[in-house]
This record gives sequence, C-alpha cells and structure tokens, in this order.
Amino acid sequence: MLMLFELKIALRFMRGGRSQTIFIASGIAIGVAVMIFLGLLITSLQASLVDQTIGNNAHITISAPQDLITRRLESPGQEGQLLLRGNDTNVIRSLDNWPQISRQLEEDLRITALSPSVQGTAFIRSGGKDRSVQIKGIDLQKADTIYEISGRLAEGVASLDGSNVLIGAELAKDLDLVAGDGLNVLLPSGESTRLLVSGIFDLESEAVNSTLVFMDLSRAQKLFNIGNGVSELEIQVTSPFDADLIAGEWAALIPDVRIQNWKDQNAQLLSALSSQGSSSYTIQFFVILSITFGISSVLAVSVVQKSREIGIMKAMGATKKSARRIFVYQGLILGVAGAASGILLGILLLYFFNRFAGSLTISYNFLQIAGIAVIAVAASTLASVIPARRSAELNPMEAIKNG
Amino acid sequence: MDDKVLVKTSELYKEYGTAVVTRALDGVSLTLNEGEFSSIIGQSGSGKSTLLNMLGALDQPTRGNVVIDGLDLSSVDDDQVASFRNRTIGFIFQFHYLLTDFTALENVLIPTWIQSGVADLRQEKRAKELLEIVGLKDRMYNPANNLSGGQQQRVAIARALINDPKLVLADEPTGNLDSDSTEQVYELLRNINKESGTAFTIVTHDRHIAEKSDRVIEMKDGRIIDDYRTSEKSASELWQCLGPSNCKLLQAGFRLVPEGKDA
Repeated sequence: MLMLFELKIALRFMRGGRSQTIFIASGIAIGVAVMIFLGLLITSLQASLVDQTIGNNAHITISAPQDLITRRLESPGQEGQLLLRGNDTNVIRSLDNWPQISRQLEEDLRITALSPSVQGTAFIRSGGKDRSVQIKGIDLQKADTIYEISGRLAEGVASLDGSNVLIGAELAKDLDLVAGDGLNVLLPSGESTRLLVSGIFDLESEAVNSTLVFMDLSRAQKLFNIGNGVSELEIQVTSPFDADLIAGEWAALIPDVRIQNWKDQNAQLLSALSSQGSSSYTIQFFVILSITFGISSVLAVSVVQKSREIGIMKAMGATKKSARRIFVYQGLILGVAGAASGILLGILLLYFFNRFAGSLTISYNFLQIAGIAVIAVAASTLASVIPARRSAELNPMEAIKNG
Repeated sequence: MDDKVLVKTSELYKEYGTAVVTRALDGVSLTLNEGEFSSIIGQSGSGKSTLLNMLGALDQPTRGNVVIDGLDLSSVDDDQVASFRNRTIGFIFQFHYLLTDFTALENVLIPTWIQSGVADLRQEKRAKELLEIVGLKDRMYNPANNLSGGQQQRVAIARALINDPKLVLADEPTGNLDSDSTEQVYELLRNINKESGTAFTIVTHDRHIAEKSDRVIEMKDGRIIDDYRTSEKSASELWQCLGPSNCKLLQAGFRLVPEGKDA
C-alpha cells in the first residue's frame, strides 16, 4: 500500500512500541466511552425531565391581563348594583377576543397545538363528601392535542357532550365514583348543577388526577358566566426551547394580553438543568484534558526513545517538517483508533444501560457521539504538538553521538 | 581518476561555549576531489569528527564556509540542506543505527522514501542489488535488529549508497566490528569506490584502512597537520607515519612522547 513515508514510519514506531500503543489507545477509548455515556445520559435525562414538564402541558399561554372582578369594578356598572368582591371568589380572567387571536396565530407554522380553555374552582359533592376541584372547560378535540386525554382514559368514554364530564382517577377513587355515576357541582356563586361522569382519566400526575375535572367549553362558559370568553389559550410549539422568544414576538403583535411561557414559569428547573449540563461538560473537559496529557507524555517518551532513529533520518535528509509529522501522525492515529474503539465501548455501555437499568432510556444521539469523537481526535493531535516540535528540533549529531 | 573538486572548505572554525571558548576546528581549509578515497586520522578530540559533520552539513561552522558540489551550504535554508544531504551525501556511522522497526530492505529504501515523500517500492530493485553487493541478499527481509553487527553495518552501507551520492562520509565505520568484519567492510567500500566513482571520506583509528586510502589527512587540535597521498610514500614510511605517535614530530626529529599523554 502506498502511503506517506512519515505515516509509514509513525505506524512502524507504534507497532514497535505495541504495549505502549495499546495502553494509551485503551486509555483514550475509555475516556471517549465515558464522555459518550455521560454526555448522552445527561442529554437524555434532561430531555426526559423537560418532556415531563412540557410534554403534556402548554408551552405558551395567552390570557387576559386583568381578572373579571377588577374589570367589573372598573366598569361603569348598573345603578343600584352592589358589587361585593366576596361574591366572586372565582378569579376568572376572561379573554374575550380569543377567536381573533387564534385566527391570527393560525398562520404561525411553529404552533403544533392551540386549545382554548375556561378555568375555575368549584366543589364537588358526592356520597356525603365535598371536594374542591378545578373545572377546566375545553374543546376535547383541541385539548387532546396537548393533554391526550382521550388516549389516557382509565375507564368510560371520552365524551363531554351535554352534562358529561371527565374526572381524574384519584378523585374518582376518593369519591367512589365510576363511569356513569352522577355528581353535584357547587359553584362559588352559589349555583349548583348535576353532572354525569362519562370517563375517568389518568394523566400521570397526582395533583391533576385528584383535582381536575374536564367539562365542555361552552358549558363552562355558562357556569362561570363569562359569555363567549375563555380563561386562556394554551399553545404548544415545535421548538419548546424557543418558547420565550416566540412569546416575546407575540407580545409585540397582540396587544392587551398576558403571554406566559413555560421557561419563565420553570426557571428553577431550567437553571438546575443548566448546572447539570455544565457539570457534565466540566467532567468531559477534564477527561479530554487527561487524555491529552497522557498522549503527550507517551509521545514525549517515544521521541526520546527514537531520537537516534530520528537523528539518522535527518542525516539521510529528512526535514524538520517530516520529523514533526511522524509524531503528529502518531497522535492522530492514536486519536482515531481510540475514538473508534471508544465509540463502540460507549454504545455497548448505553446498550447495557438501556437493557438493564430500566427507568430511563438513553437515546443514541449520533451527532453528539460524532462531536465527541471529533474533539477526541483533535485533542490527540494537539497533544502531539509539543513532542513533535521536540522531534523537529532534535539535533541529528547529538542524537547520533549519544548512541 | 580526474581531479575535479567535490568539496572545498575555507578557513573553517568551530567554537563551543561563550565564557570559555573551546575551539574544535581552528581554520581548516581542505579540498576533496571527486572519486577520492580519503581517511581522516587523528587522536580523540582532534576535531576529525567535527570536520566530518561539517562536510555532511550536519553542523554549521562558527566561521568559514563549506562548498560541496558547487553548493555553498551557508547560502541555503534547513530544508534545502536536508534535501541536498539526501541526494548528494551518504552517511555511515560507527553504530550502525538501522531503524529497528524495519527490515533490512526497508532500511535501505528509507532514503528514497525521504526523497519522494512516499513509502514506495520504485527503488526496490536497486535496493536489492545493493544488498546483494554487500552480501545480504538472503537476509533482506530480516528485521534490522535480527542481524549481526557486521551485517547491520553492511545494510547501513547499502542505505548510504541507495541515492547514488557523490560523497559518502563514514565515522569510524569499523570501530564497532571484529577484525574479519572490518576487512570485509573495508573491501566493500573500496570496491564500491572503484566501481561507481563515489568519493569516500572516512574518519578512522584503524591504520589498516588509512594505509589503503588514496589520501590521508591527519588532524591535531582542530588543525590539519598532515595531508598526503599514500602513493607518494613507501610502505615502511607509511606504516611509520600511521603509527601511534605523531608522524610530523618524528620527521622533525622529535622523540616519541610517552603514550597517552596527549590523549
């Protein structure tokens, strides 16, 4: 096989120092495997945490800037009407112009789901027990795009027609309700109405399962007396991590609304994720650093061991550049061999983790793996620079004399 | 043999140190002709190896210059000197210095690889011929460290000749060999010199080699103190001149200095 003469010399030197070569290449492989495993573990862990937080939740919510009471208090009002704040413990903000807003947003291709909802608190009475619950009026089809309620029913059918409601599994257990049972709802206004449990959902959250009641949007509008308004528009977007930017854009576009995004609401989680990310990067940085030092010292020893050979090649007309390349190639080869076996080892580790560790599945992010490999190869090559320079500066006479 | 000039040095000085200056070469002017087989003799520290390194462009003089084959070595950069060495000069050292990770044949080919930049086999035929000349035809695929000292030195000779150099510089080429191997190596060098017209300059302690050279250059304290053609002297005269004590002093009527005093 035809190859550059410096490469041939480099390969032979490495073959000559076989055990040295194997040791250092294994060291690189282990380092790369650790980086891959750790890097992907953290990435997957973060993705899973984020998915739990926003997977079945709104990324951006649009609501009215003021609550209903404030608006009522500030409106001219009818003569003789007594306004008592205590009458309206239900603090509902009504977004009256939501149809226009949703039409306006429909053109934004980044939106994957948009669901209007009416929210308010109420009491449920059943079998002599009272429970405080959150009523959420929704358009089931639209809400499903975010919450997947229909797909996560424990029993009954997904229907909100008429007086049908869906309740959470915890609440059903608490009140001994099954699909088909009736229950009484007591509203803060004092009104009461009878509803029918059509299905029981399990949204994998204790808080949600024990307090949430889904009801048809128009029925909720009537119950809470907010006309055609809604409490908020819940929105999911294609890239959740841009939610704050998108929210910012919309704030400029849509006047007089409150736009919230999950990133602002989960600042603590995000900061935890970011410090988790930085500690992972720190570990990876030091792994790379120790790989680099390892290669550098092995090659430095090799330059000393091979100084006579280098000297003789220089006497035969090898240039400084060639003398340097012989060691840069060794760094490069060690890096490539180490990274390749490190990738295999890392993938093996991931496989066993996924197979036997259970709860979390680490996804094979090949772009990230390739990135780590590139960094490892670059670091190995860089590690050879100092030994290579020593080789280049080696005085052939000295090298030969000291034989 | 014509007398075309191959190497010319003028007023070569080599000094080491700044506070205490040690002068390894003290104004050496020397002309070597093409195809000449010459020996440089002298005691340890007389500057003969330093001179050889200058002739091989392995070392730079403090003052003075070296012109080889029309090229003034002080006028070119490192890479040009390296390429010049590769094409024009062959080296043979006392310790054979083969690359132990390569076979005998590969070692002979290395100078051709350095020249082309590629580890190719274009010169394989020539390398095999040379290995045959040095009597190692059946050992050419042996790893270098699997050869005896004499065999290794013969591989080194083949390696020095592969690029058809005009000048081969040898520093104590037989200093590390037994007398049989010494004789073989010398005969080999002499034959190659006669057949190919390659000039040889050999630094040696071995008066058998010096005696059989075309020319003997004797050094002491960084200076050339004697320079003659062996054909100009009778065998006994020559033997006396190449003796352990200084030829010049004897001729001038000095008594023998006690041995080792000047070493």
